Amino acid sequence: MKKLCLGIESTAHTFGVGILDFEGNIYSLKNDVFVPDKGGLHPVLVKEQHLNNFMHIIQMALSEASITIHDLDLIAFSQSPGLGPVLKIGALVARMLSQLLKIPIVGVNHCIAHIEIGRLMCKLEDPLTLYVSGGNTIISAFESEKYQIFGETLDLAIGNMIDMFGRDAGLIHPGGPKIEKLAQESRNYIPLPYVVKGMDLSFSGLYTAAKYLLQSNGYGKKYNLNDIAYSLQETAFSMLTEVTERALAHTEKKEVLLTGGVAANKRLQSMIENISQEHSAKFEVVPLKFAGDNGIMIGWAGILRYQAEGGHTISETIIKPKERMDQITIPWRF
Amino acid sequence: MSSEIIQERIIRKGAEANLYYGYWFGKEVIFKYRIPKKYRIEEIDKNIRTTRTLNEARALIKVKNYGINVPQVFEIDSKNSTIVMKYIQGYKLRNILSNLDEFKKKKYFNEIGRAIAILHKNGHTHNDITTSNIIITPTEQVFLIDFGLHEYSDKIEDKSVDLHLFKRVLISSHGDDYKFCFNAFLEGYRTEYGKQGTEEYKEIINNINAIESRGRYIKSKERL
Repeated sequence: MKKLCLGIESTAHTFGVGILDFEGNIYSLKNDVFVPDKGGLHPVLVKEQHLNNFMHIIQMALSEASITIHDLDLIAFSQSPGLGPVLKIGALVARMLSQLLKIPIVGVNHCIAHIEIGRLMCKLEDPLTLYVSGGNTIISAFESEKYQIFGETLDLAIGNMIDMFGRDAGLIHPGGPKIEKLAQESRNYIPLPYVVKGMDLSFSGLYTAAKYLLQSNGYGKKYNLNDIAYSLQETAFSMLTEVTERALAHTEKKEVLLTGGVAANKRLQSMIENISQEHSAKFEVVPLKFAGDNGIMIGWAGILRYQAEGGHTISETIIKPKERMDQITIPWRF
Repeated sequence: MSSEIIQERIIRKGAEANLYYGYWFGKEVIFKYRIPKKYRIEEIDKNIRTTRTLNEARALIKVKNYGINVPQVFEIDSKNSTIVMKYIQGYKLRNILSNLDEFKKKKYFNEIGRAIAILHKNGHTHNDITTSNIIITPTEQVFLIDFGLHEYSDKIEDKSVDLHLFKRVLISSHGDDYKFCFNAFLEGYRTEYGKQGTEEYKEIINNINAIESRGRYIKSKERL
């Protein structure tokens, strides 16, 4: 029997459980996603939902994989970064399982897990990664033993920015997919702030300007919600694509990986694909199921770390809500 | 003197622009052509290409007067977003850095620090200082290029961001050399900036930490 790992994702809205073996074969993937009635993600409400549902999700994952909990050989969990109260639930469940079953436990950085599952799924060696989601906007590549951050947002994450605008426009969370649909209906561009500093980005001015457009006199007359959605997307994605291209020219990598929840956006995909072709780099989007938060990616990154360095002690499994991924060495890459 | 304008060959496909080597009335030149980008819509593309071309050309002309080594501008064609500038022979610092001995590293980074200090003292920020944007000539002169993101600013914050971006590039691309090089850079920066008789440079350098602490995922007790 192959060795099995159970990965637990619990950094934000998703409580995800994935079961896979040490060779990367996947047996099951189950998610429970918090959807707010109004507003954004309140950490305490998210925590409560995860706390109520974790047993159920784990049981569903086990039965889908047709195994019992005693067949597991390793527990991996998301240790950083994320919402503190939510991270605690994943860590709590992982410690409990590890001690009950007497199997090793390993903590994983969520951002690194996104890159590693992308490398596995898309069969890439050494990609430049654009990781775009509700919580992160990072352009990263492996250099000097670490996943270095070449560019990142200086304020809002791209997904967060789009969702916030969506809420202002009266759309139900998450706004991203709805904004994408609306944007397809317009070709009327309204100039919005475009802020790029080196390879870093800033979205807060863009958000404010788009929000003011909703409140201004011209709204509903000179332009409608479709036009703002279109302008917002075009501006933000052009910024992302520009810095990705700059990082690609700087690092001279031959592969580009697009991951995170916002990777589902077709317009962004086509823009990043375009620059990849320009620089003769191979372009891959992580399959949607694995691009958003999930337990499989945590499991896979956990397996890699466990095989390189062994498991963590319980005192090492303390959560690190603010850990940056460029502070962590990646022993399996050198 | 030849009266021809010849674009001989492409020498670099950058992120933003293509560089062509050629001749301009007998002079060896680079044609820096900001290419239309298919990924972005016409309205955004046109605006970015025109404003950055004009911005870069103006900046190059201006900062050359302060005695910083930058390519001389011969012609500006804003309609085709092209700048014709002097050809600088040499290597990108990025490609030769790991092969340099400590003496040379110190010398070059001192010199870069000095050049950036002169920019900052005169109210300019480069906003894209990377080791790819610094050329070392065979006569060991240091040239700054690529002023497309240049801004006019006297704010301490903007100058600190400039240094912070450079620090980040050193860490991410030259991890092993970062400390030595950045210290040599700051030494050159301090010496030159200090000549003006104020202690503004201290504020600028200290502010780098404040900017870092504002980054994502910084522990709250490390925040200033």
